[in-house]
Amino acid sequence: MQGYVRAGSSQPAWLFPLIILVVLILSVLPLARLAVAGIAALAHGGVSAVLADPALWSATYYTIVTAILGTLISLVIGCAFAFLLTLTDIRGKGLLSFLFVLPMMIPPQVTALAWVQMSGPSSPLLKALHIAPSLGSPQPLYSVGGIALLYGVQHAPLVYLALRSGLMALPRDGVEAARLSGASSFRVFRNIILPLSLPGVIAGAAISFVSCTGNFGIPAILGIPASIYTLPTLIFSKFSAFTSRTFGEVALLSAIIAIIAVAGLAVQDRALRGRDYRVLGLSGATATFDLGGWKYLFAPLIWVILFFMLAAPFFALLAGALVPAYGVPLTFKTISFNAFHEVLFRQAVTRTAFVNSLSLAAGTAMCLLLVTVLSAYALTRRRDAVSRAVSGLIEIPYSLPGIVIAVCFILVFAAPLPVLNVTFYGTIWIILIAYLSSFFAVSLKPVVSAFHQLDPALEEAARLSGAGFFRRLRDIIVPLIAPAAGASVILVFLIACNELTISALLWSAGTQTLGVAIYNLDDSGSSDLASALSVLIVVMVIVMMLLLELLARRLPKGVVPWRS
Amino acid sequence: MKKVSIFAALLAAGLVSVSAEATNLVLYTSQPNEDAQATVDGFMAANPDVKVDWVRDGTPKIMAKLQAEIEAGNPVADVLLIADTVTLERLKEAGKLLAYKSPEAASYDAALYDADGHYYSTKLITTGIMYNTSASMKPASWKDLTKPEAKGLLAMPSPLTSGAALIHAQTLASVDDLGWDYYKALAANGAIPAGGNGAVLKSVASGEKAYGMVVDYMPIREKAKGAPVEFVFPQEGVSAVTEPVGILASTKNAEAAKKFVDYVLSEKGQEGFLKLGYIPARNGMKLPEGFPARDSIKVLPIKAGEALKNTDQDLKTFSGIYGSN
Repeated sequence: MQGYVRAGSSQPAWLFPLIILVVLILSVLPLARLAVAGIAALAHGGVSAVLADPALWSATYYTIVTAILGTLISLVIGCAFAFLLTLTDIRGKGLLSFLFVLPMMIPPQVTALAWVQMSGPSSPLLKALHIAPSLGSPQPLYSVGGIALLYGVQHAPLVYLALRSGLMALPRDGVEAARLSGASSFRVFRNIILPLSLPGVIAGAAISFVSCTGNFGIPAILGIPASIYTLPTLIFSKFSAFTSRTFGEVALLSAIIAIIAVAGLAVQDRALRGRDYRVLGLSGATATFDLGGWKYLFAPLIWVILFFMLAAPFFALLAGALVPAYGVPLTFKTISFNAFHEVLFRQAVTRTAFVNSLSLAAGTAMCLLLVTVLSAYALTRRRDAVSRAVSGLIEIPYSLPGIVIAVCFILVFAAPLPVLNVTFYGTIWIILIAYLSSFFAVSLKPVVSAFHQLDPALEEAARLSGAGFFRRLRDIIVPLIAPAAGASVILVFLIACNELTISALLWSAGTQTLGVAIYNLDDSGSSDLASALSVLIVVMVIVMMLLLELLARRLPKGVVPWRS
Repeated sequence: MKKVSIFAALLAAGLVSVSAEATNLVLYTSQPNEDAQATVDGFMAANPDVKVDWVRDGTPKIMAKLQAEIEAGNPVADVLLIADTVTLERLKEAGKLLAYKSPEAASYDAALYDADGHYYSTKLITTGIMYNTSASMKPASWKDLTKPEAKGLLAMPSPLTSGAALIHAQTLASVDDLGWDYYKALAANGAIPAGGNGAVLKSVASGEKAYGMVVDYMPIREKAKGAPVEFVFPQEGVSAVTEPVGILASTKNAEAAKKFVDYVLSEKGQEGFLKLGYIPARNGMKLPEGFPARDSIKVLPIKAGEALKNTDQDLKTFSGIYGSN
């Protein structure tokens, strides 16, 4: 096959069909299987029972309400940070940006656990400070407001990132022209910057809304104790009371989440349509506002907000890991490292979970690297309707909540594979395949943008000199896109390491992931062990983000999300 | 490229070693993580040739997982060590359990195991009342929890997530003086059942709630570690589950599974449970620290057959009272 060139094209003939095959397996097959299960359940009349279930409607209601409130909170925080850190002369932007994006990289159930430890009568931190609420005070976070607040914190970085890329492209000339004509800063902001940044705000809101509807870790830890179920936690509890009807029921529930998510994206699409603010004369320089005296207000405010978003929950988590038993205040006398010892050296589950999460994350990142380099190459070279359709299909699983993807793959692999008679269900492979499907789009994006920057002339020259496809791949393409590919590997690795929603449904003996291990430890009453494991994971995430930061100097602009 | 291929090779090795670790014996258990690990460690120390992989979750969730696996044609578990005999009786009737006559059974009360050897009780776990030491009332009877002092301050596990909680509800519901009316009174007093016993322990020890219905060993053990909690055996008596062990008929490792059953029933295995703070089921064993004398603990009776028959109805009644799903 090597060197085989189709007439008039630089691609080997097998390349595109191969990519179509991969997309069929990772996107089309599972979604089709879900649709079939849903329709079958509809046809068998199980629907009326499901639709008559009040639990379904209250879960749908809570899913939408918490997602809308959470999106509003993330918009407020995310927009404020995006404007302040992109457009003003505030100091320490690099560090602030890094810190602000951190919550997005931390697993949601760790965030939830940390906030629970930080507030309410249970807080070891508040007890140590002697300001814990009295006996019998309800934990305020076990409520719709609590869930929405944490959605807001978790997803504010998404809004920030979506808005920031637009703000960076704002023309300095326009702002300067307005200034010269005597417009005040406020007027410039209202009449120029605000309208131009609206598409970014809308995109951020849509991403945040979709992520809220699919979140599992936060409503699992904050909602279940107060009997507040969202659709993802309802699916999880349906699996916890498995009956012969379960597969059909969860297929319908998944379809409802998918509809809500798609509706969110459709609203975004509608809002953005007809809004075409073309920006002329890109100067390349970002517009900046001189904060002047206001910086004495904004700078401390930003640090206070970051303290409550990051430092306080982390110390609460640490305090929760260091107390000898639940309800004991943390003092120098009571401090105990037993939880860390138990988690690190005694529990086989933690070790298994670390091995599983790391190898799943590495496996997903490496498999996707191979597939994405080939797909990005093929998709950027071919610009026809088919390749656009394929790109769209790759995006779908990523935009659907993880729990829907998990249900899809359970349906595909529940029965042993025909012919081979091998069962994937209950093995680590089903989690790997679901990860590949869900994170394909994450991995593809940086690589595609690198290919767009690549001059095709280089490759053409090599081809004319008689270099075959693999030769060109090795000598020209791979070295040139290597930095972007490296960044994509690390991003996928980070996201897959912290995954909970997909693995929460797919895990089995010996295939627990870190996310599942934390959830189960907390669920069995060992919240000190759950806290200790969470502390270790937060440290691991920060180390990986720092690695990416070190690599950032050698990467094309925009590949590391939080860098300008 | 070279680095990539080295990385890929390492990764492949990692994945292979993960599947190679897929061990001789898989245990599904409802014990808390630390106890499950200790039990497995004790067994592996006594049987170095067997490696055990274990999964922990509440009894109903474990059963759901198992059922989904059976449905998918791939049951992973070999051995079950879960809350109650009622659940294992159901599996036995469905023909899912292996009959094995353990030689250790001789040291057990005949009422504590299945005569055909499908399952054996390993310990006695009672459900009583725990309270936070800063609570205003010291409860002595189940009925105290319906008093105004406990309004909105009671935590209880849900029978939907805990096997022990289901047996507890069924036991109290069949006591003349209590019955389902008692659960209605609790609901009227603001109790919301949620999660398993771990969740109850957490909310009472932390002071979110003042009182809890909970299994004995958790608060007794936490009190020893310094947590501000007390446990009482109410005057009407306590309900009890016996955390039986059983082997699945589909096991591919029957020999190792039998060794596991023998171990948890053996004196050594029972001492392990004792050390963790459980009342051992084997005759002639001591009681763990912090427990009153064995004959002072009054265990309320439950008829396993009847409980099994009524389980679905009882769950519906319970859900009806509390409006939970």
